[in-house]
Amino acid sequence: MRDWLLAIAILLGATVYLYADSRLPRLAIGDPMGPRAFPALIGIGLLLSGLLLILETWRKRAAAAPHAADAAAGDPKHLKILLALAAWTALYYVAFEPVGYLIATPIYLFALLAFFNPRRWLVNSAVALGFTASAYGVFAGLLNVQLPGGLLGS
Amino acid sequence: MSESLHGILHGLAVAGMPINVLHTLLGVFIGTMISHLPGIGPSAGIALLIPVTFGMDPATALMMLAGIYYGCMYGGAVTAILLNTPGDAAAVMTVLDGYPLARQGRAGAALAIAAVSSFIAGTLGVTALTFVAVPLAELALQFGPTEYFALMLFALSMVSALTGESLAKGLLSVFLGLAVATIGIDPQSGRPRFTMGMPELQEGVSFLVVVVGLFALAEVSRMVEGTLAGTMQIVRVKGRIWFTREEWREAWPAIFRGWGVGFFCGAAPGLGGTISAMLAYITETKVAKHPERFGKGAIAGVAAPEAAVNGDACGAFVHLLALGIPGSGSTAVIMGAFIMYGIQPGPMLFQTHPDLVWGLIASMYVGNLMLLVLNLPLVGLFARVLYVPPGILLVIILGIASVGVYSFNTESLNLYLALLFGFIGYLFRLLDIPKAPLIFGLILGAKLEQAFRQAMTISSGDPMIFVRSPLAAGLILVAIVSIALSFWAKRKSTAALRGALATEPG
Repeated sequence: MRDWLLAIAILLGATVYLYADSRLPRLAIGDPMGPRAFPALIGIGLLLSGLLLILETWRKRAAAAPHAADAAAGDPKHLKILLALAAWTALYYVAFEPVGYLIATPIYLFALLAFFNPRRWLVNSAVALGFTASAYGVFAGLLNVQLPGGLLGS
Repeated sequence: MSESLHGILHGLAVAGMPINVLHTLLGVFIGTMISHLPGIGPSAGIALLIPVTFGMDPATALMMLAGIYYGCMYGGAVTAILLNTPGDAAAVMTVLDGYPLARQGRAGAALAIAAVSSFIAGTLGVTALTFVAVPLAELALQFGPTEYFALMLFALSMVSALTGESLAKGLLSVFLGLAVATIGIDPQSGRPRFTMGMPELQEGVSFLVVVVGLFALAEVSRMVEGTLAGTMQIVRVKGRIWFTREEWREAWPAIFRGWGVGFFCGAAPGLGGTISAMLAYITETKVAKHPERFGKGAIAGVAAPEAAVNGDACGAFVHLLALGIPGSGSTAVIMGAFIMYGIQPGPMLFQTHPDLVWGLIASMYVGNLMLLVLNLPLVGLFARVLYVPPGILLVIILGIASVGVYSFNTESLNLYLALLFGFIGYLFRLLDIPKAPLIFGLILGAKLEQAFRQAMTISSGDPMIFVRSPLAAGLILVAIVSIALSFWAKRKSTAALRGALATEPG
């Protein structure tokens, strides 16, 4: 079932890609192919691999083999946690520039640690603060990367 | 021959500089640590470390990144033997006999044999690399765009036909990588393509963002599931870490056979360490006098795959350096690092950057020696990494990934893109799609298109140019045959391999 959905998603994606490609301007001065030809081949390749996937899934349908992917992957309970993790990470990324690295990072890390390594407040605080400080030292100090100051100003 | 000798001597002088020795040590040290951490493999490890190398001398940086790669190949055996879990996918065959040996109280012997066979195979591999790379590069200098196009097509077809269980999913992964590579300004016409109106995308999707998302962030999802599912049992090492005379007698021929299998697999693009280890293991069961002992604690069953994996790592460097074609997922990431430093790996490398390429090769001799020390007397010390709570580990990985991606060009869009690729990586795992082909496609995409358009310009638009060169025609034929064969072949794979191949390329 998953593979059918995947195949449909690929065929749709490939069509969108090919359409976007066909809208590119044709510029063929000294270059018989222009910027469109190569992506067109890739789009066709994507379409073909989608069709091949349908064929493969069709052939396997009779065998009805149990799903070979990770047994653990896709467990609904884990899925909820992963979604929450992704949402929390997205929030961190949104806050990264306006709030600033030095404030957002320890909060982000500490909340994660409180969930994944529960009840060890002392260790978790040390990891959250220690990581923030040492990564700041490496990137801002040694490598001269401008990490956003955010609320603390730059 | 003399050129290689001269080169390697010069390289040893470069690799022997204190700063380079230090970074080689740092690389193999980090590689060893990473190999002990379940969930995080060499590709993710290298990608996470790339941002830290900006501003370094490229040669020094590459010595460190390469050290992570072969350090990881070395150390994968430790968790395989002590934990019954491969530290990285390539160590999957080592589990079969390594863990039973540990259960029988021979953990010390298994660890020692793994370290010694890795060292022998690694050193032999670097020696072969030293002498094969220059002739191959000289041959490749004769290649025009048609031959290059065919060669890249060949590499892409091999990686999609050989990784994972489904040909369609391998191809899909390659084409997705190629499609992502077309995002950004077309270098030949200066037109933006598929940027969806976002100026940040004009430079293209950074390969670093893709690798961090696809490997590091997506692997965090596996660690989350592991953390929630429970803990693992570690076998304690008792006695001395060395082997008996009988064990050595059984192991050494396996080391040489394993190395041979591994090096040749490594020299064929797309065959990662996992497949080399598998082939080496199968070879051993075929030549052994007592094949029934395999799977129950045969020392050759540890020696051969470990030698193969390390031979393979060196083989993969041959065509990364001489041809500019990656040999495995991890060497594709290293190739990405080359490109980020503004260096195009390939045949010209030996002429344009002799210090870098010879220094890098020479550093691998040094690194192999260091690894022998790290993996023999110090193995107990490193095994302590296994006691770090996975909950803390996954949070630290998320932290490093985020800061690293942002620091690449201080663009928050890259953070979102990394998260998106993390999600894609999760889907890939869920749907059993191999990741290595995508990285291959992404890395080779720009060069493939350039070669294609140059060839077509030469022929004024006649595609027959690709079959007029015998070499190009031959490579394209092999590519087609390998795709066709993998379409018809009924895949036989054991349950262990099935799991490993879907996780991470060697």
